[in-house]
Amino acid sequence: MPYASIVVPAFNAAETLAETLVSLSAQTFRDLEIVVVDDGSTDATSRVAEQQARTDGRIRVVRQHNRGLAGARNSGIAAATGEIVGFCDADDRWLPEKLDTHVRHLERSPQVGISYSGSAMIDADGHRMGHAQRPRLHDVTTALVFKRNPIGNGSAPVFRREALASIAWRPHFETRRDWVFDETFRQSEDIECWLRFCLSTDWIVEGVPGLLTEYRVNAGGLSARTEAQLAAWERVVDKLRPRDPAFFARHEAAARAYQLRYLARRAISSGDGVTACELIDRAMAESRTPLHEEPFRTLSTIAAARLSSRFGDGPMRLATAVLSAVRQ
Amino acid sequence: MTDRPLVLHLVDDTTAGGVTRVLDFIRTNPDMAATARHEVQVVARNRSIPALSADMIVSHLSISWRSLPVLIALRARHAGLPLVHVEHSYTETFTALNVPFKVRFFTLLRNAYALFDRVVAVSEEQGAWMRRRGLVSREALQVIRSAVDLGRFRALPAPAGPALRIGAIGRLNRQKGFDVLIEAFRELTSPEISLHFHGTGSEEQALRALAKGDPRIQFHGHSAVPEEALASVDVIAMPSRWEAFGLVALEARAAGRRLVVSDLDGLKDSAGIEAQFVTGHGVQDWRLALKAALDAGTAAPARAPGAEQEFADRWNHLVQLCLDRGEPLTRVAGGRA
Repeated sequence: MPYASIVVPAFNAAETLAETLVSLSAQTFRDLEIVVVDDGSTDATSRVAEQQARTDGRIRVVRQHNRGLAGARNSGIAAATGEIVGFCDADDRWLPEKLDTHVRHLERSPQVGISYSGSAMIDADGHRMGHAQRPRLHDVTTALVFKRNPIGNGSAPVFRREALASIAWRPHFETRRDWVFDETFRQSEDIECWLRFCLSTDWIVEGVPGLLTEYRVNAGGLSARTEAQLAAWERVVDKLRPRDPAFFARHEAAARAYQLRYLARRAISSGDGVTACELIDRAMAESRTPLHEEPFRTLSTIAAARLSSRFGDGPMRLATAVLSAVRQ
Repeated sequence: MTDRPLVLHLVDDTTAGGVTRVLDFIRTNPDMAATARHEVQVVARNRSIPALSADMIVSHLSISWRSLPVLIALRARHAGLPLVHVEHSYTETFTALNVPFKVRFFTLLRNAYALFDRVVAVSEEQGAWMRRRGLVSREALQVIRSAVDLGRFRALPAPAGPALRIGAIGRLNRQKGFDVLIEAFRELTSPEISLHFHGTGSEEQALRALAKGDPRIQFHGHSAVPEEALASVDVIAMPSRWEAFGLVALEARAAGRRLVVSDLDGLKDSAGIEAQFVTGHGVQDWRLALKAALDAGTAAPARAPGAEQEFADRWNHLVQLCLDRGEPLTRVAGGRA
């Protein structure tokens, strides 16, 4: 049995899946299986997966009626046989050394249940955008996970199987297999899982250096989904609050402010200054903690939101251009 | 009888709770008295402990960075004596919910436990956690599930008729999760059912506020006679957020009461296989579980047979292991521990 499993949930991902699987086949740690879960795709996803499976015998394809991202990951977990289980969404990529880095991290740190890395953002064409998620790697508290989500996107963490099993449960209406991710969520399923993990187990959560995941950002229609995104986040909080009301009383307002700030930054990126202003104002009304904990990032978000609402996306484009010129 | 070894149990928590009652049972248990004299000595928390005269010392003390010097001194003063620690507090879920920097906490526990010849986990689940986190060496770890004298609980008649009364017994604090219980109960609309709290604690006012306007929910204060509280209800609910063992669950089983418990820590052990286990603290999940337990009626489950005997056997076995007198002590059940 392979030591590591990588679960690839894929829904109508024919365009990007091959790229994803090539990056996984190229992992320098070789003792792995790749479980592609075709989540009821109506495009050529299945064919692409089969094609890749012919070039790499370690790829398996599981098919199911559409259950959403969480449902696809859960089916992948049920099918996976590895001691450690990672996830890579069908439009993201792993750098070749990612799996090896996590395997070694988990081997030398038996208390660590989740090992994660930072991520570099890529655009629709797969080019790096210059943005990155560079999370804190050590001293990860539950409060930090709630406020800043250092574990990050769904393609960043690698779990010890035993740690995954410790948060698995079987809802009374489920007949086939356990849940690890909550399938009633169609957004925020990642943070729900990470936060529940921290509230119910004492596995250590720790990161490794490097931007080992390439995470695809889709530019279109971001701010249109802002309210839905926020509603999903609130549902996560409502769901998990009873586990420890005291914890939520202490950190909820600050975490909400960070969430609003995050959405404000996304609104700025998509050129919607008016929404950005509204969101960052709501964030500051909710809690001043982001100002104290991360003054530069918070103030720059406020400034960018104001500029963007007054002058449209001109200043943002200029800033991006200057930044990318500096980087080159 | 005077040649029986003296086992001295040290305790720094004398509030009315599980630890005190388990110690009463140790002190008065005839099966344990046959092989050793068990005495209990109360010490002040985090204060130095003088040299003691005994054949074996058992710590039921709370471990913290502040108590670590006390424990080191205890070890140094009794270098030749077998020292045992019983862990009544810490569990996986305790750590998840109360310890921000876990690595440091594990370091504390490893160092504290290393001072003792043996460490006793009070439930299989807690023991598995200690092994998983490398807190205790495999050889040093013993599991002895907590117990008290269950005779008066088993003597209670099984509840008859439809199950209508839900009981919640224990301290009214954050650990016990009774806030979730009230919210879940309030969503059950039947006017015939009721919810009864037996206990006091820091969250009493908050819980009363949550229960306000629902006359079916009643607070009875602390019940000095635990079996009386159990006698007055049909089902016991324990939505605890962490629980090293969960004595109330064992007592409820002995009393033939159905159980609805959180699926975590020692409750996986103490509540027995017939209990209804709930994952997480979602109000809807608890509402469904309570409803299922009430609908299941009052048929009495098995009454925790053999719990006290197993407790005594394992303690006798541990005493023998520690004192290793080369002669078998009576009533040791073939190394089941």
